[in-house]
Amino acid sequence: MAGLVLKGIKKSYGDVQTLHGIDLEIQDGEFIVFVGPSGCGKSTLLRSIAGLEEISAGELYIGKKRVNDEPPSKRGVAMVFQSYALYPHMSVHENMAFSLKLAGASKEETNAAVDRAAKILQIEPLLDRKPKALSGGQRQRVAIGRAIVRKPDVFLFDEPLSNLDASLRVQMRVELSKLHGELKSTMIYVTHDQVEAMTLANRIVVLSAGRIEQVGAPLELYHRPANLFVAGFIGSPKMNFVSGQLIAADEKLAQIKLKSGAVVKAAVDARRLKPGAAVTFGVRPEHASIDVEPGDSTMAGKIQVVERLGDTTYFYLEVAGSETSFIVRAPGDKHAKVGENIVVGLPLQRCYVFDEKGQACPVTW
Amino acid sequence: MAIVLDKSHRWRVVAAHLGLIAFISLCMFPFLMILSISLRPGNFAVGSLIPDQISFEHWKLALGISYQAEDGSLVTPPFPVLLWLWNSIKVALISAFIAVLLSTTAAYAFARMKFRGKKHWMTALLLMQMFPTVLALIAIFSIFDYLGSYVKVLGVDSHWALILAYAGGIALHVWTIKGYYDTIPVEIEEAAVVDGATHWQAFKYVLLPMAKPILMVVFLLAFIGAIIEYPVASVLLHQEANLTLAVGSKLFLYEQKYLWGDFAAAAILSGMPITLVFVLSQRWMVGGLTAGGVKG
Ligand SMILES: Nc1ncnc2c1ncn2[C@@H]1O[C@H](COP(=O)(O)OP(=O)(O)O)[C@@H](O)[C@H]1O
Ligand SMILES: [Mg+2]
Repeated sequence: MAGLVLKGIKKSYGDVQTLHGIDLEIQDGEFIVFVGPSGCGKSTLLRSIAGLEEISAGELYIGKKRVNDEPPSKRGVAMVFQSYALYPHMSVHENMAFSLKLAGASKEETNAAVDRAAKILQIEPLLDRKPKALSGGQRQRVAIGRAIVRKPDVFLFDEPLSNLDASLRVQMRVELSKLHGELKSTMIYVTHDQVEAMTLANRIVVLSAGRIEQVGAPLELYHRPANLFVAGFIGSPKMNFVSGQLIAADEKLAQIKLKSGAVVKAAVDARRLKPGAAVTFGVRPEHASIDVEPGDSTMAGKIQVVERLGDTTYFYLEVAGSETSFIVRAPGDKHAKVGENIVVGLPLQRCYVFDEKGQACPVTW
Repeated sequence: MAIVLDKSHRWRVVAAHLGLIAFISLCMFPFLMILSISLRPGNFAVGSLIPDQISFEHWKLALGISYQAEDGSLVTPPFPVLLWLWNSIKVALISAFIAVLLSTTAAYAFARMKFRGKKHWMTALLLMQMFPTVLALIAIFSIFDYLGSYVKVLGVDSHWALILAYAGGIALHVWTIKGYYDTIPVEIEEAAVVDGATHWQAFKYVLLPMAKPILMVVFLLAFIGAIIEYPVASVLLHQEANLTLAVGSKLFLYEQKYLWGDFAAAAILSGMPITLVFVLSQRWMVGGLTAGGVKG
């Protein structure tokens, strides 16, 4: 069991810098998720923690120990790779026992550890099989089992579920959550899927282009995104953005004139911006309402596409000042046709304002 | 697989078979010719493919057995063919083993480690090997002649000198094995390293078992190469008792008298160990050893 401290971690491959100074403290026993779009440096960061990549600058502590120069085997970490990376020529039992064999553990000790891990993951009947004879989900379990057997201080997962089909992914997600509850080890989990991040994490670290955008509990990121990137990344479907102009701001409320001419209010403190400043106004599809009379804090839009999912319906609207369709969530039986104009209500406590640099104005609720 | 077939398909199958049979006959002809010569009484290179009369006299000589000629005189084997065969096998086995040992480790370095000028070294290695060995014969001779004055067992007329010379020719093997290593996902070894393995352990316990088929292929190639090699062996080995079969069989063909029959029997004998090693090694040359390790 150990916490981690990352101080100004940088990593370059030749001339290309991939990580631009990562500062982060991870508590002992925490389930932390690195999330970000593909290519933002999540794997690089995880591999740096594991010791598979040398870091170019900065300091890394696992527990109390500075591990910059320690090889992977001395860091007390276990890693589950995206591609499973099982040893194809060994049986499941041998795969899981490999680390203990290298460490010189006795046969009884090894067997006990393997059996315990196999029981937790329910792969006892598979112990004699080769990886070739396993399904994707079973291989993933073996890969996790191999990590458990080592009793590491820190578990590292690199997109472990991305190769599984959707239903299996949901199932494994729940099991990973349970596993964390049982083992109570520190877990660092990398994914590009914000749903996995939201459901699994104690805290989420949102990365973009080698930088930390925001760190916080899932709901904190959902309700108080620090910037446009986080606001757009967390939540599905993603937040709607409409460009506009700040008209007035006091400590509780900001008034924004959208491109279409509509004036809307948001419960944010935008006093640091001058009236007339260009801003981006944001609201999530699930917070915009559709059955409203034209009036204060409303906006009109023309329906382009209707998506019916059964319990909910998504309306894709054409709205001035929005590059992509403006999405609104409505109950499943809501009737409206493509081409119709509808009025969307924008509750002021669910609206966000971002300045020109994309930084959010603090919400006041 | 039961794909619906066109009517004309049958004729194409027949034509393909005929073509294949013709091709195989073409390949087999020289071998059958040699076999025929070795079973023909007397020493004639030309004659019908199926001998009118079968005689084992050449085989007897090759196997070191004397026989009574028709005029009553006893013909004793002129050369120690079986000893040559044994020399060939010994040199080929040891040099193939050393070649595999050196090339697997060298290939590992080229495939997995980072060092300056890696690419250029690879190319240089191959280019050097591209020069025909024949051009370097004098150099090889003088090197080993010189070596022999310091280390007796590495001098001219020693099998160890020949083995050492053969073990130097591994550039192609290094390329072959590196190419195979490159197809094995690095993540599997990385997993081993995180599991606590050193580079050496990751190589030995994880990479090597997956690379078995290619190691067998390289062993076989090196073995065959050593068995059939003539120029270097002919320069380094002189005493009759030291010769390899490839060099020794040439003695049957001296200017005044070409002993085609005896030569043919020896030639077939030299193919035996190759066949044997091939059959034995085949069980290791299976595909799919890396299947299931990673999600493709
Ligand atoms: N071995 C490498 N050499 C050069 N560039 C690399 C290497 N590994 C990763 N990168 C680069 O670093 C960036 C981050 O990669 P990665 O950490 O794999 O992203 P992620 O896991 O978030 O998708 C990418 O732009 C990638 O091209
Ligand atoms: Mg990745």
